[in-house]
Amino acid sequence: MGTMGLALPWKTRITSALHEPAAIGRWETRVGPSEHLTGGPAQAGAKPANEDAALAAACRAGDLRAYERLYVLHGARMKNLARNVLGSAADAEDAVQETFLKVQRSIASFRGQSSFVTWTYRILINTCYDARRSRLRKKEVTTDDDSEETPRREPRAPGAHPSLRIALVRALEKLTRHQRDVFLLYEVEGFRHAEIAGMLEISEAASKNTLFQAKKNLREMLEPPRSSAG
Amino acid sequence: MNVTCKDRERIFEDGTAAEWAALAAHAAACATCTEEIRTWQSLSVAAKELRDYSPIPGLWSRIERALIEQDGRKARRPEGKWWFSFLPNVSLGWQTAVAGAFALILTASVTWIISRPVRDPGKQDPLLKNAALKEVESAESAYKKAIDKLAAEAKPQLDTPATPLLASYHEKLLVLDSAIADLRAQGGLNPSNAQLRYQLLAMYQEKQRTLEEVLGAGK
Repeated sequence: MGTMGLALPWKTRITSALHEPAAIGRWETRVGPSEHLTGGPAQAGAKPANEDAALAAACRAGDLRAYERLYVLHGARMKNLARNVLGSAADAEDAVQETFLKVQRSIASFRGQSSFVTWTYRILINTCYDARRSRLRKKEVTTDDDSEETPRREPRAPGAHPSLRIALVRALEKLTRHQRDVFLLYEVEGFRHAEIAGMLEISEAASKNTLFQAKKNLREMLEPPRSSAG
Repeated sequence: MNVTCKDRERIFEDGTAAEWAALAAHAAACATCTEEIRTWQSLSVAAKELRDYSPIPGLWSRIERALIEQDGRKARRPEGKWWFSFLPNVSLGWQTAVAGAFALILTASVTWIISRPVRDPGKQDPLLKNAALKEVESAESAYKKAIDKLAAEAKPQLDTPATPLLASYHEKLLVLDSAIADLRAQGGLNPSNAQLRYQLLAMYQEKQRTLEEVLGAGK
């Protein structure tokens, strides 16, 4: 593998961040439980199991406040994940709403094999892919001239570097579904492999391996073309 | 702990904290590893650009309304979910007419079944006769045992799939098992249905092929 780095327009920012003395040490801590959301929305695995069970029980009892609590804890993160899968904020909001409705419809069948939050994210991911499929079917029916399958991307919050985001988004679209899901869940949303394994119904080892493959592929896609002269 | 450049990829995939520390120490004197680590980490840094947890005005109230509506619909639904529960919405006259038509169809069907002529046994029948059925069931059972043996051989690879391909095979096998279970359940209700047996056979064959591919991929 080359050692020339990624052809990313944001490279200088990354490089400066990595030159900080503790950079490698930070990476090391990332191997364990995801920590990079500290201060952001609550993490699925950070809550005690009994709180998760209590939330599930309250939702099963039809307590709307429990659904609101679930939304407060995970709504923003759910929407972010959905938007990264679907590429549109409006579709993402629909997917989050549909997920809550599905949770309400199916809560009686939740047996607690995984955590309630993990189960909810599993529903969200499936809902997003259902929406993607249905959008593709609609596109086929209307035989639109725009045959590009990549989801449309909307303007993001100020602060996000547009060319950085666009390059990564395009590269992500070329990954397999599994690789994209694991990358988004681990690197963007900060879930741990154990949590991702529960959401995608794969083993923890498969989650780690899929992330590795995803990052290898992304690195290849984002690497600058090698000079033929060299 | 000593690590070399050769360990880098393995540590990227599944390294412990101690291994990462050892790799960092090694990278201090290795330009290639320094650059590789930087490139690898830059993807994690870039991923943060896809994170936007800004508030979503109005989304919770929209979800709340939808939840209340759905709950209301559920509450309005009658307790007993029998298949003709729609009848209360239909006028009494129509209910009588539907009941009469149903009784007529039932009587005609029973009369036809009792009075139909015995068919020529030489003719092809979509329903399996007793002897044929026993033969099919015994062959099916032997085939299932053979596939179960194959599945047992592939189990270690499937339980902890080492590659995404094996993980996909694992998922495919779960889907196939579920389809087989469905077909077997239907077959249990209607054991003489040759069509169901053919479908079941096709599913078993697909499972066999998949397991062979799993075992092949592991070699």
